[in-house]
Formats: sequence, C-alpha cells, structure tokens
Amino acid sequence: MIIKILNLIILLFVPFLMAGVIKKTKAFWGGRKGASVFQPFYDFVKLLKKDFVISKTTSKVFTIAPIVQIASVLFAAMFIPLAYGNALINVSAGLIIFAYTLSLGKFASLISAMDTGSSFEGMGASREACFTSIVEPAFFMTIASVMALSGNYSFTALQNILSSSGNYGILITIFAIAVLFIMILIEGSRVPVDDPTTHLELTMIHEVMILDNSGLDLALFSWANSIKMLLLSSLIAYMIIPAGVSVWVSILIYLAVMFLISVLIGTIESGMARFRMSHVFEFVFVMSSFALVVLSLVVARMFGG
Amino acid sequence: MNSFFIGIVILLISGFSAGKFADKLKVSVLSILVGIASVFCLTPAVQSLVKGDYFIKTFDFNSLFGAVNFVIDPLAAFFIVVISIMSLVSVIYSKGYLKPYIEKGKNINSHLVFLPLLIASMMAVVTCQNAFMFLICWEVMSLSSFFLVIFENEKKDVLKAGIKYLVFMHISVLFIMIAFGMLSIKAGSFDFSAFKLVLENNVHFANIIFILAFIGFGCKAGFVPFHNWLPDAHPAAPSHVSAIMSGVMIKTGIYGILRIISLIGIPSKSIAYTVLIISLVSALYGVLYAISQHDLKRLLAYHSIENIGIIGMGLGVGMLGMAYHTPIVAILGFAGGILHILNHSIFKELLFLSAGSVYTKTHTRNIEVLGGLIKSMPKSAILFLIGSVAICGLPPFNGFISEFLIYLGMFRGLSIHNFFSCVMILFTIAGLALVGTMAVLCFSKAFSIIFLGMPRSEEAEKVQEDASCSMILPMSFLALLTLVIGLLPQYVFAVMLKPVSVLVNINILDMVSPGFLMWTISIFAFAFVVFLTLLILLKLKFTKGKIQMNETWGCGYNRGNNHMQYTASSYASPFLTMLNPLFKKVFDIEKPRKLFPQSAHFSMHVEDIEEAYVIEPVVKSDEWFLSKFEGLQDGNIQSYIKYGLIFLIIVIIGSLFM
Repeated sequence: MIIKILNLIILLFVPFLMAGVIKKTKAFWGGRKGASVFQPFYDFVKLLKKDFVISKTTSKVFTIAPIVQIASVLFAAMFIPLAYGNALINVSAGLIIFAYTLSLGKFASLISAMDTGSSFEGMGASREACFTSIVEPAFFMTIASVMALSGNYSFTALQNILSSSGNYGILITIFAIAVLFIMILIEGSRVPVDDPTTHLELTMIHEVMILDNSGLDLALFSWANSIKMLLLSSLIAYMIIPAGVSVWVSILIYLAVMFLISVLIGTIESGMARFRMSHVFEFVFVMSSFALVVLSLVVARMFGG
Repeated sequence: MNSFFIGIVILLISGFSAGKFADKLKVSVLSILVGIASVFCLTPAVQSLVKGDYFIKTFDFNSLFGAVNFVIDPLAAFFIVVISIMSLVSVIYSKGYLKPYIEKGKNINSHLVFLPLLIASMMAVVTCQNAFMFLICWEVMSLSSFFLVIFENEKKDVLKAGIKYLVFMHISVLFIMIAFGMLSIKAGSFDFSAFKLVLENNVHFANIIFILAFIGFGCKAGFVPFHNWLPDAHPAAPSHVSAIMSGVMIKTGIYGILRIISLIGIPSKSIAYTVLIISLVSALYGVLYAISQHDLKRLLAYHSIENIGIIGMGLGVGMLGMAYHTPIVAILGFAGGILHILNHSIFKELLFLSAGSVYTKTHTRNIEVLGGLIKSMPKSAILFLIGSVAICGLPPFNGFISEFLIYLGMFRGLSIHNFFSCVMILFTIAGLALVGTMAVLCFSKAFSIIFLGMPRSEEAEKVQEDASCSMILPMSFLALLTLVIGLLPQYVFAVMLKPVSVLVNINILDMVSPGFLMWTISIFAFAFVVFLTLLILLKLKFTKGKIQMNETWGCGYNRGNNHMQYTASSYASPFLTMLNPLFKKVFDIEKPRKLFPQSAHFSMHVEDIEEAYVIEPVVKSDEWFLSKFEGLQDGNIQSYIKYGLIFLIIVIIGSLFM
C-alpha cells in the first residue's frame, strides 16, 4: 500500500521535476544559472489561480478537452510499472488499454485545437495527428516483439528481457530503449521534433495546439504532457531495473534514470536545432526502423539457428 | 421458429400496406409494422443466442430445390439480431429524412416496398441453408438494395453509381454461384449439411471453394480489391439506406464467409494467411482513402472498408488459431471479429444517420464548406462525436472492446511457435495500431471540420435548428448502445461466445482469463467515466465567473475570418504528402493571370487508384470491344428474328454433335 502511494506521488510530482531538470540543463549549457528545478511546479500552481481568456469561436469541446486529456493520461498510468513493482493493473494486453486510453486524450486535444478556428492550431493538430500515426505502430511492434520473446503478454515482459536472453537480450534492450527514447522526444514535443520554446507559431507542433488555452486548461495540458514523458521513461527504467532488488534501490535507480533522461533531453536541446518539418518525418521513421530491428532480433533469437 | 416466418411475412406485406395510407402517415405505419416484425423475428433469435438453441424448419419444395432448411443457429441468430435492430432504427429515422422529399411531392411508395423487402431478404439469407434458395434470397437482397440506392434516380450520377453497384453485385453472385455449383455437383444436394461432408474430407477442394466464396462474398463485404462499389453507392443512396447497407447489408458478406468456414471445419494455413493479409490491406487502404476524402459519405464508405478489414483481421486470426490448433486464439479472433460486426453496425449507422441530419440541414456533403455546426446543431454534433470516438476504437466505447479482443487473440497467437505466424502477427499488430491512429486522424478531421470552428460558407451559417426529434431519438439509442457495450463488455463477450461456438469448440476453462480481462476493462471504464464526470463538474463549478471571451489568437492579427481556418485538405495534407505514390490526385487549377486577375480557383480531389488504373482501363477496353458489335443492333425487327434463327440452328447443330 505504501509503495502504491509512493508510486502515485512519483507519478504526480516527478514530471514537474523532469521538466525542471531539462530547463536547468539547458541553462547550464547556455552558461546561465537558470531557474530552480521546482519552477515548473510553481508555474503550475500559478496557472491554477489565474482567470481564463477563451476564444469566442470555441464550444463546450474546448472546455472539456483538457480534462479528458489529463484523465486519460492518469488512467493510462495505471497500466505502466512505475518506481517499484508491477503496474497497478498488470494484465495481458495492458499495452492496448494503455495506448488507446492515451489516444482518447490525444483525440480530445486535437479537436480542442481545431475548435478555435485558428489556422495555427489547425496546423499543429494536423502535424501532431500525422506523427502519432507513425509513432504508435512502431511502439506497438517493439513491445509486442519483446512480449513474443518472453511469452508474457503484460508489461512484465520488459523486465526479464535483459537477464534472460543473453547477448540478444542486451541488443534488444538497447534498441528498444532507442525506440522509446525517440518516442519520448516526439510525444513530449522536444527538439529535434518540436521546439517548445520557439517564438514562431508556424514551426511549433504541440505548443501551437494550446495557443488559446489559458489558466487551468494550459496547466492541465502541460502537466499531462510531462506525465506522458514520465510514463514512457518509466518503461525504459523498467527494462533496466533488475528484478528482485529492494524497494529503495529500485526507487533510486528509477529516479536516476529519470534524471539521466531529462539531462539527455536537455543536452540534445542545447546541442542541436529542430529539424525542418519535412526532415521530422525522416526522424520519425528512424524510430520505425529501430522497431524493425527489435522485431528481427526477437525473431532471430526465437527461430534462428 | 414460426414466429420468425410471421415476422418475414409482415415485412413482405408492410411496404404495400404502408403505401395505402396518406403521405404523412406512410413512414410511421411502415416503422410500426417493421417494429412488430422485428419483435417476431427477434424472439427465436434471442432465445438461440442466449441459450444456444437450434431451430430448424424444413420446407419441401419441388424436385429442383429439394428440401429447403431454414435454420436459426447462434450464428444466424446473431445476424438476425443485428439486422432487425439496426434496420428498425434506420426505418424510424427515415421518417424525418424523407419528409422534405414527400413535401416536394416525390412518390416514395416503391421505396417503402423495397425497404422492408431488403430487410426480409437479409433475414432469409442468414437463415437459409439451401444453396439454391440462398442464391435467390441473395439476389432479391441485391436487387432491392439497388432500387433503394437509386432513390434520387433523376440525378445522373446516382443512376451511374447504382448501375456500378448492380454490376459489382453480379460479379459477386457469379463467384458464389460457381462455388455453390461445384459443391452441389460434388455433394449431390443443395443442402449445406451435405456440403459440410464434402468440404471436411477434401482439403484442396475446400481451398478452391473458399477462395471462390471469399471473392464472391468479399465483393459484397467490400474487401480490397473488390471494394470499388462502396465509395460510389453510399453517397448516392439516401442516408438511412446507406446506414442499412453499410451497417447491415455488407455484413451478410461476412456471414457468408463465416458460414463457409463453419462448413470447412479446419481451414488450411495458407488460406488463413491470405485472409489476414487481404484484411490488413483492406483496413489500411480504407482508412488511407478515408483521410483523403472531402465528401462526408464517401469518407464514411471508405471507413466501412477499413472496418470490414478489421473484422476480417479477427476472422483471419481466428482461422490462424484453428489452422494451428490453438483454440484460444481462434475463439478470441472470431469473438473479436463477430463483436466488431455488431459494433461497426452500431457506430457506422450512427455516423451515417448524423451525416444525414447534417445533409438535410445544409444540403451538402462536402465538408470543406461546413463548420461551426456544433452551435446550431448541438445534439447531432454530440452524437457524431460519440460515433467518431467509438469508430476510432477508443475506450470507453464499444469499438475498443472488439479491437481489444482481436489484439488479445493476436498476442495469444504469438505463442504459436512458428516463424511465419509470429512475424505475420507482429506485423498485423503494428498494422492494426496504424489503422487505429489513422482513424483518429481521419475522425478528428471530419468532426472538427464539420462541427467546430467557424462556418465556412453560407449554407453552414444559415442552419437554424437541429434535426427533428424523430431523427435524434434513433441516433441517441445507437449512441447509448455504443456506451453500454463499452461499459459492460463482460456480458457482451459471454453472449459472443455462442456464435463462436458454431465455428470452434469452446473450453470453458480457457475463457476464464479473457473473462477476467473484460471485467477489468469494465471496471476501468466505469471508473474513468465517473472520474471524468466529477472533474468536469468540478471545473464548471470552480471556473464560473473566471472566464473572459475574446478573439482567437492569431499571432497579433485579430481580424481572423472563416476563410483563414484550416480546411480538411490542409489537415490531411502532411499525411497524404508523405504517402504520395499511393494516390492519384486530380487537380483543377485556374491560376490568376494578368495584372488585375478576374478569377482564379484551385481544387483537388483524390481518385481511387484501383478505379483509375484497373477498373477504368478495363471498362474502356470493354467498351471499345463491344462497340464493334453496335452494327448488330439496327432496330429492324426482321434482323432480330434472323439472329434468333441463326442461334437456333447453331444449337441444333451443336446438339447433334454432342
């Protein structure tokens, strides 16, 4: 029970810290001191207190969408193993419920962006929908391949892969982590796919979708986005944390992985610019090809020589 | 079983008797009669579906037919339930939809005869177990639906679409005829139970029969590459007819395939792979083209192809499970596929009907000129939204349940230790995920372009009121069904096992873990809905008075207007550009010329590549070939008698030599 509460706390607060660490890393590489790592949380609280300005064009869809988004992310989190132990609901094909629940939130955020009648937000929604449609199959293929190898159809399959499959296990883990990491960059709308801090609406993807959201709505959308990043990072951590370690070691490794991922994202953002929109597609397809590598490694392991 | 035939007879006479009433009452009378007939037909069907009973009624016809068996087994019963409920909903809806036509003075009597005739023939098709009688019912079904499609026969493109439909249906029936003909020669009888004996003991013969039947029934169902009639026939037909056709009638094709599988027993592996691949291609092809369409009903028609593909995936997984002797995979695959038949008929009908109510108010099917309708038609908008979310397979609605079962079947199928099945299933999982996300793209586009933002034209701006109550009520019933199935999948799953048991033997112990999963989903969905409602109420309570209304942010430009909004083509554009080679884009451009350009326009539509590169050339060469014989038709009665004579002589000479 205590572990579940601990996991819940991690789920709700670590996303802010991750966003804070990313910003801090960027400040470090930029030679600045930067805001405190808790700043995203302060921003969140500040936004909650603010009033709303809503476009006259919008309808009820716009009001409800942020709530659907946050609810879907929180409910999807039930299927993901967090800092210690299995997921809250650890069932076979939990992957499907997880991904489709997230899709519901995505659907809500897409139509909420279109609800404003703004061409910028339409542009963002269109790109977001397009990228998701390439990302999801690769994600499914990776996880399903790993499941095929371990013969377990819940997320538990990810845990055994490193220890049980020898050299293949190491390779599969590396490529699966690469797939998940690229997915974090895409779903979390990070450089080089999307630049959350750009000043130009035309080049944004996720950030431009929430141009018209303010106050609570904005807070919920950005929180949901960080939680989504945390969930995908948790899968990476779950692949690395050895089975059977004690609670505190597990949590420690988990937090360390979260920290490393945030630092890596921050470093990438400081080191390179975002791709031109047409090159983003190519980058997204890199993820698909890594997924294919995972698939072929699994098949080679299962049926090869 | 007798009550089933009473229902059929009521359906057959209902159209004629409704025609006797005054114009205003006609459709209401028809709805009541169809309602009564549905109750009669449902009674034995529900009994069979719940208890697993079989009802058989034998009619002894003359020597040509032999004994004709009408059988309600759980599989047929499932289809009877789908047909009667879904058709009834459409008939009730048609009252509001036909009203403007009646007011204009259009004669709808023949329409009202063919509508119940179509329903009755579909019911007969799914119960009849005599090949000869089956073909007759099948033909009645195709013809009556043809007459329903050409309701607005004064329009030339409607007639053209209708004729295309007719041609495809006859290609379809040709293949079914060949398959049944071969079977009845070998079995020496027209009865399905005799076919079963032949097919079970002869693998190669069974494969040939399955392929022929798959082409035949696949034409009806709309599997790629036999799908071409769908995107033309659906926009041409009135909305309630499209709803019946897409929601129910194309499923009779699936019924045919399922029936053939039940006769074959254990299908061969190659057949299972073929079905899986064709289904995957259909699903991807359907949703890809749906993204590219601006015509709402064409878009929905392409989505029917996609969903038929998903149903086919379920069947393919089921067949794979049977071929590799893993019953759990077979059961989950078939259960998912069969449940998706029900689910698709519910949400597709809902979408077609709400598309119809948009059409009655705006008189256009082109979504590019719509927009902002959620303000004038809030009920239709919510219903369309529910349909959209359900068709994307998102929880907590029904589409998710069937897709989940198919996924679960595939995951279980990964345990089949075979190279090909493992790779195939992994790719199918990714393929189904791709289909799901593309559906999200497509329906976020369709819903938001039609209902959100600002009106893009006068037609959309002029809309004052929502559709009438007689249209909203049947749609609300469907929307409720999507939610109920999504929230209570455990009971639906238990019922679905009955039709599956016709195909596979079910071991109760195997069903414990999927049953548990269904309970998990149910609790999860309930919790989600409650949580969501609470949050929404909380938000509405606490944000009261904190909201200011202002212009949409336009990067500092505050004179945004409706023409600056994103359109459906621009929304779909990044995706379509990425997959450019798969489409044939037809542009219509007039560039601005001279110093003060007078006029300029640009429009683009996407043509079906199969239509453009396969069907059109075939039709053209066919026309060229046939035009050589035009001289024969000279309108002179004497020469026609001469042709008859020549034919007779050839027949006589031929028979002498035989």
